[in-house]
Amino acid sequence: MTNKRKSGKVAPVVRGLLFVAYGVPIIWIVITSLKTSGQVFNTGWGMIFFSPNITAYTKNLHGALLQAGLQSIIIATGTCVLVLLIAVPAGYGLARTTGRIPTIALGALIILQMVPQTATVIPLFQVFGSWGLLDNTLGVVIADTALLTPFAVLLLRPFFRGVPIALEESGAIDGASVWRIFRSIVLPIARNGVATTATLIFLISWGEFLYAVNFFLSPGRYPLSAVLAQQITAFGIDWPGLMALAVITSIPILVLFVATYKQLRDGLTLGAVK
Amino acid sequence: MWFKEEHHLLGVTRTSSGLARILSRKGRVALAAIAAASLLILSACSTTSAPSSSATPSQITVWHYTIDPIQAKVITAAAAAFEKTHPHTKVNSVYVPYDQLQSKLIAAAAAQQGPDVVLFNGGDANTLAAAGTLAPLDKYWSAYKDKSQFPDSTLHYYNNKLYAVQGVVDLVALWYNQDLMKKLGIAAPPTTIDEFDADMAKAKVAGYKGLTVTGLPNDQSEWQAYPWLTHAGFSYEKPTVASLTSAFTTAQSWVNNGYLSKEAVTWDQTLPFQQFLTGNVLFAENGDWQAGAAKGAKFKYGVAPLPLSTDGKLYLGGTGNAIGAFSKAPQLAWEYIESGTLSKSGEISALENIGSIPARLDMVKDPTVTSSAITQGFASLIGPNGAKYPSAAIPPKNVAGVQLLVGQTWSAVLGGQLTPKDAADKVMSGLNTLLKK
Amino acid sequence: MTSRTMKKVGRRDSSAPSAPRKRTRRQIRFVFVIPATLFIAIFSVYPLIQLLRMSVSDVTPATLGSNWDFVGFSNFSKGFAEGTLGTVLSNTLVFVGIVTVLGLIGGLAAAISLRGSARGTGLLLGLMVFIWALPPVVNGSVWKFLLGNTGLFNSMLGLSGASPIGYLYNQHLAIFSVAIVNSWAVVPFNALVFRAAILNIDPEIFEAAQLDGARPFQEIRYVIMAAVRPTTLVLTVLTVVYGFRSFDFIYVMTYGGPGTVTTTLPFLSYVEAFVRYDFGLGSATAVITVVLVIVLAMVYARSVRREEREL
Repeated sequence: MTNKRKSGKVAPVVRGLLFVAYGVPIIWIVITSLKTSGQVFNTGWGMIFFSPNITAYTKNLHGALLQAGLQSIIIATGTCVLVLLIAVPAGYGLARTTGRIPTIALGALIILQMVPQTATVIPLFQVFGSWGLLDNTLGVVIADTALLTPFAVLLLRPFFRGVPIALEESGAIDGASVWRIFRSIVLPIARNGVATTATLIFLISWGEFLYAVNFFLSPGRYPLSAVLAQQITAFGIDWPGLMALAVITSIPILVLFVATYKQLRDGLTLGAVK
Repeated sequence: MWFKEEHHLLGVTRTSSGLARILSRKGRVALAAIAAASLLILSACSTTSAPSSSATPSQITVWHYTIDPIQAKVITAAAAAFEKTHPHTKVNSVYVPYDQLQSKLIAAAAAQQGPDVVLFNGGDANTLAAAGTLAPLDKYWSAYKDKSQFPDSTLHYYNNKLYAVQGVVDLVALWYNQDLMKKLGIAAPPTTIDEFDADMAKAKVAGYKGLTVTGLPNDQSEWQAYPWLTHAGFSYEKPTVASLTSAFTTAQSWVNNGYLSKEAVTWDQTLPFQQFLTGNVLFAENGDWQAGAAKGAKFKYGVAPLPLSTDGKLYLGGTGNAIGAFSKAPQLAWEYIESGTLSKSGEISALENIGSIPARLDMVKDPTVTSSAITQGFASLIGPNGAKYPSAAIPPKNVAGVQLLVGQTWSAVLGGQLTPKDAADKVMSGLNTLLKK
Repeated sequence: MTSRTMKKVGRRDSSAPSAPRKRTRRQIRFVFVIPATLFIAIFSVYPLIQLLRMSVSDVTPATLGSNWDFVGFSNFSKGFAEGTLGTVLSNTLVFVGIVTVLGLIGGLAAAISLRGSARGTGLLLGLMVFIWALPPVVNGSVWKFLLGNTGLFNSMLGLSGASPIGYLYNQHLAIFSVAIVNSWAVVPFNALVFRAAILNIDPEIFEAAQLDGARPFQEIRYVIMAAVRPTTLVLTVLTVVYGFRSFDFIYVMTYGGPGTVTTTLPFLSYVEAFVRYDFGLGSATAVITVVLVIVLAMVYARSVRREEREL
């Protein structure tokens, strides 16, 4: 099994470097979350050696946080589901069709992503205003979906192209309909890509902040991403609070990652190619 | 785990990934059902389509940018004061992150939506009024019995209509580390620029930093640079290259002499004060709103006027109060403003919880103001050195452009990209276009 | 979808008896695209159209709600006339170049070294995903501290007696510092996607290569690189797009400074639109960025057509 084979001597070195590159900032985040505001600016060894306290955590763990967390879950799950519903078929469709129009469509997907998110707020505000979607979780989900669908389609397409066309043809010869082929043959093989895309969409929409802050108009509706931004006020930045919240708000993500890791890790092909 | 449960529900025997099961035949149905359920939950979770800007007399909405639990007491106090006199009306205080408040108001206005009351950075009144987000206050103001209590600098007009009133004033002064001053043998805070320089030199020799200021290339730098520009003789009414060159030379000398860290170009107004609180810096140019943060200092501190010439001016900022243009209950909105942040008790609340200086003239001799050395230190500067923010000499539509130009140039001077003369030329040529009426 | 296109497709098919069936199949497959197209048409295309309209109009908060005056290309020429556009363009190209190159190489290297189940792989992946999922305000602030005068790097430098390096305020270093931090933030994403693609490679191919006596480096070069080509193409596009859009890190770490040294096109567009409140000018800058990316989009589209002909 390829997974068991060592990839030479370079791989552990790369892994070591990555551990440092990504571990040190995380350690720094956790350390800062255990400091008081004054200790944040310690210099020299005081940066690492100080008397820790968990005020930053206890201060921020209250009912409003749970409410925001629930909102984040709803938005991220809703966006993930909606994006998959429309982007998975679209990625397949663009993987299996040729001609000028699909090519133009791909180009359009790239260009659509270049519209700055801040530039979309005002037009969407007007659209949602006239459709009654303001101050509405569904509105934010729709906005996030619109933001992420081009990205998802572009990402999914190569995974669908990686499905051997011979399989689809043999399915056709067996008399299966296109939809059936898609569902039963193509999707299972492309599931790595779909699962990866789904995870990424969930993570991105979990952290999405601009639409959430702009389209919610009443108190208590902001998701966690906005709660994080609250640590940066006009009057000062609560560094320990910001880092503590970063840790708290990322825990559900870690839970999701651990839960799906086994699935993402195995990556078995079904062996149906033989 | 959710995925694993699906695995069993669908009676699967193969041990491959749960997600794959979900995406196979039966799983597709399940997924569709989940999707439908999610959408139903979403619409159930959403409020009715009545936008919260509507103020049936049973509630009014207030947008503000104060989130810190102590500072937010001002907001809750204002809401309580209003609800006491209006038992049938509820106040919805909606926090909007400071950086997002203006753009959210403008976006909402483009969709004909908005809150009843807006509490915002007073200096932005021009932009907000121009964008049609605010309602004129003239008819409420003319009937307001306390209107004579408010100095001209607290009133914001646009196209000759009043759009915002400040209940408080925020300005900058020289925070100093009293313990460090004693240690360096400095008897009193500097009153002239030469004394200032000499004091900072002493700090440097002893291994400390002399000063922290803002150097981030945006309006905050323009706000903090203004005292030094005006000290050198600059004004927006009569800008000159000579005054600008002199001011920039002074500023750059602080960095070149080692009193001010070049890192200042990455500092807004919060970071330099946090640096000051470490105790390693002698002076900090910063505002009254740091009073709360200052209480955490492990050293004795005080506030003194910036060592400016008689020409030196300080911008008078502060939170502006306004009525939203799309408010359905402007009269109630005005009553909220009146009983909240414009009232004496509202101003005392702002002073105690944020540190902002009361604007009302009848508060000048109030014990809450006179009893605190810090507050008095700031308050005493308002009359002699106060200047309107933004300057009336700048055409409203170019205010942001001017602030950006001066802020970026100040940053470039501190960072050493521009010589003082080049910087002065750059600002002058920019102002020649931007200041044209 | 024109019948002319369909006939073209039909003619390219090799097996004549099944040609009509394939033609119908391809038509049906295009139907799969419809839900996404509808959704995007309503919610994504409309903002794009508004952006284009704004770039050729005079739009400020005062005129936002009413009719916009058409001003032709003056928003574009204003940008060039003010003199900043040249610096900003070169800043942007440097920035996007670094983010793309480092992001792709780093992502691929990470994916290759993380494809097995060696000890610590799961933990490391978790760390990387955790970082990637953190908002730029957190990541940017962390690096702002780490790179500051009293931060980790300069403290270590101080141990050896050297004076601090202004990673974020030295006018020559600043753009590189911000770009490298941005690459660091993007690597986990590329790593995850590359990894999924690598895991899709049939293990038989690896076994065959090993039987032929291939060493790890050859394995990487001939098996992995070939298999991830379509993914590399897409990730290059997505990373370049990301580089052209990214401004959060700049906003948090340097605010485009010192002066305008780290101002890139997206940051300039943001400043023009939401600090100076000149929506027309900001839109024009955004459109310039879009035009630059169109070139990229065309390259991608062309290689997509080439790869189809190879099938």
